[in-house]
Amino acid sequence: MDATIRVRNWKGLRHELLLLAVLAGEILYFNAVGSRFGTLDNLFDILRHSTEIGLLAVVMTPIILTGGIDLSVGSLLGLCAILFGKMWRDGGLPPLTAAVCTLLFGAMAGALNGGLITVLRLPPLIVTLGTYSLFRGLAEAITHGADTFTNFPASFLCLGQENRFGIPVQAFALILVAAGVWLMVHRTTFGRSFRAIGFAPEGARYAGLPVDRRVAFSYILAGFVSALAAVIYTARLGQAKADAGTGYELYAITAVVLGGTSIFGGSGSVHGTLLGVAAIAVLSNGLVHAHQPREVAGMLTGVLLLLALCGGVIPKLVAFLRARSRHPN
Amino acid sequence: MQPPLLQLSNVTKSFGAVRALKGVSFTLHQGEVHALLGENGAGKSTLIKLIAGAHERDGGRIEIAGNPIGHLTPRQARAHGIACIYQQPTLFPDLTVAENIALGLETPSIGRRVHWKKRRQHAEMLLKRVGAMIDPESEVRSLSMPEQQLVEIAKALGAGARILIMDEPTASLTQSEVALLLNVVRDLRGQGVGIIYISHRLEEIFAMADRVTVLRDGESVGTHAVTAITQAALIRMMVGREVSAIYPPSENEPGAPVVSLANLTCGASGIFEVNLEIREGEVVGLAGLVGAGRTELARVLFGITPADSGTISLSGKFVEVRSPRSAVEQGIAYVPEDRRRHGVILEMPIAANMTMAIHPVFFPGAWLRLDAERRLALEYIRELGIKAAGPEAPGGSLSGGNQQKVALARWLATNPKLLILDEPTQGVDIGAKAEIHKIIRHLAKNGLAVLMISSDLPEILGMSDRIAVMRGGRIAAMLGGGASADEVMSAALGHEKEAA
Repeated sequence: MDATIRVRNWKGLRHELLLLAVLAGEILYFNAVGSRFGTLDNLFDILRHSTEIGLLAVVMTPIILTGGIDLSVGSLLGLCAILFGKMWRDGGLPPLTAAVCTLLFGAMAGALNGGLITVLRLPPLIVTLGTYSLFRGLAEAITHGADTFTNFPASFLCLGQENRFGIPVQAFALILVAAGVWLMVHRTTFGRSFRAIGFAPEGARYAGLPVDRRVAFSYILAGFVSALAAVIYTARLGQAKADAGTGYELYAITAVVLGGTSIFGGSGSVHGTLLGVAAIAVLSNGLVHAHQPREVAGMLTGVLLLLALCGGVIPKLVAFLRARSRHPN
Repeated sequence: MQPPLLQLSNVTKSFGAVRALKGVSFTLHQGEVHALLGENGAGKSTLIKLIAGAHERDGGRIEIAGNPIGHLTPRQARAHGIACIYQQPTLFPDLTVAENIALGLETPSIGRRVHWKKRRQHAEMLLKRVGAMIDPESEVRSLSMPEQQLVEIAKALGAGARILIMDEPTASLTQSEVALLLNVVRDLRGQGVGIIYISHRLEEIFAMADRVTVLRDGESVGTHAVTAITQAALIRMMVGREVSAIYPPSENEPGAPVVSLANLTCGASGIFEVNLEIREGEVVGLAGLVGAGRTELARVLFGITPADSGTISLSGKFVEVRSPRSAVEQGIAYVPEDRRRHGVILEMPIAANMTMAIHPVFFPGAWLRLDAERRLALEYIRELGIKAAGPEAPGGSLSGGNQQKVALARWLATNPKLLILDEPTQGVDIGAKAEIHKIIRHLAKNGLAVLMISSDLPEILGMSDRIAVMRGGRIAAMLGGGASADEVMSAALGHEKEAA
């Protein structure tokens, strides 16, 4: 009994150590081959480029812990960017007011996902596959596929392009959200409930946990933070287009799973997710510095993910082979 | 003399440490209806699964028409002419009757055409043999329950069944449908088929069985011709054991009523007009057969399937229980039957399991207090004698009895008024069982109202201050704590005890 617990804790830790080792390997390798890779400027560049996906991955973590999934976050990012641009340019709202309205809209869109999943008892994969198309379609309808919002004031663009206290402004948002979600997942009853629901949804209900409220909350949070990511994305690029954030949901899910969260729910961590985001971000940035084509990044990310998934099997395989060699047949 | 159609000598079967069959002998002759009787868990299903090849026996002999049979797979059992009819028909609802009958019979081969006409005629012939007026071309989903059962029987006959096992075939039929089915069974007997008939309805057994064998605790208590035995004697054979003295005695006088249910009804769960009162410090046993509605009643009380009508009052106040959450808030606790799925979250530490129902109270502001939780867990581990590596041990690493104690601790931590226990000692070893009984008695002594569902009759008799017997979703009888096994069983089966 004692041994199983130790193995369990050790297994969680081992995954994170493995990921740290991968990250360190990436950094050492790219530092050796790329001349500009190791600079502070490049570190900030990586931070800027990974903030939005980092935000999405962090709020995807509680959802996957409950055994759910949200495929709509990338599309919602696109829709929120468009709404933000529309409210500022055509609605005449100041950027701050437009941003607040966008965040509220994001939370409402998340509530739509959460409501369909908990009230109608539809599977999260199907619900968010639907809203994935719906949100992107709305963004395209609003812009007729052609309209682009640009010429934002500098006071707004600094959110995505400048440094404060020596680090990129948007990094503060990521740090704040990550810290908040980390505390929620690891230090409150919310995290407990997410895990309980992920391990045994019926069991959580029989324990008197407010299962539906917790599940809905995880989707509302994801909607809210997707809208935040949309505002930051717009500030970073200085423009909002209907295709903003295309495919981001898959990067986010990849980072979460790479970070050691079980896709079946229950086990996982927010710091693991952050390591997963870092591993992917450093990889794609480093390959540019190593003068590799961009496609290679996608391929290597895929290989990394598959290796991470197989990682749990390798020690078992080794143990099995060792046992075999000791007792031939 | 012709050898019997089926002869089992001294067959045994164990599941892990549980000995389901401890050497059962059973004989079925040609043209005989042989009824098999016993309480839940007496070994009936294990026995028929051995005969049908679904389980392999550990020991003993099986002979079919005088030939010893070694290893028996479901396929071989079919080849030997053994067929099973279950309570719920297992036909394909979207196929026609003829297709369903043909499915088991025709050997599929590539490039052979379907002889639709031959198939139809064959089905017609078989349906006629069971006296069914059913069009072979009709879809199975359009048939009534008894019609589907007749198709099942026709299918079994088509496969050349000589030994027909019928497992509670009448459980979901109405009175007139039962009469129809019994006629078919009598016809088949006339055609030389041997029938093993399992039913809880004693009147059916007396109406058509030739002999009856009673199983109890995995052993055969006896085989009798139905003409040579009375209903009362049969019931006595089924429950026969002496209630052991290991049950801790009730020490206190029950106090004021804690819970009273009035006309509680939940149509979707099949619970009708339940009236029940449980007093402070009282253990009320809830007895009944499987499917009588005991767990369903608990689920209504705990808000998993809220009631349609009727009232629940706790300590004199009417309460509305719409969800498990609200049940917990009102002071109702439920330790569910399926401990591995519902009672304990196996992957989570036992400390987290124990505080799961008290999140809002124990963790104000939602912040986890891990040290306090650890202390609470250690306290319950000591108090209930839970054998675990520590508060961090995952629930799944514990034995069944210790998991049950963790589930119990979770609900004791809520400081409930009413504790509902659903099969609290099922699958628990003897030692842990006695400990759990002691804990229940201790809780009652401290003023808790306990509703204990159990299929273990001695447990019901030994632990209960009063016994509520359910049948068909209703409370069929309220008995005192001194009731006899016969009285409980008679009420559960729906028979008045015969004046002896």
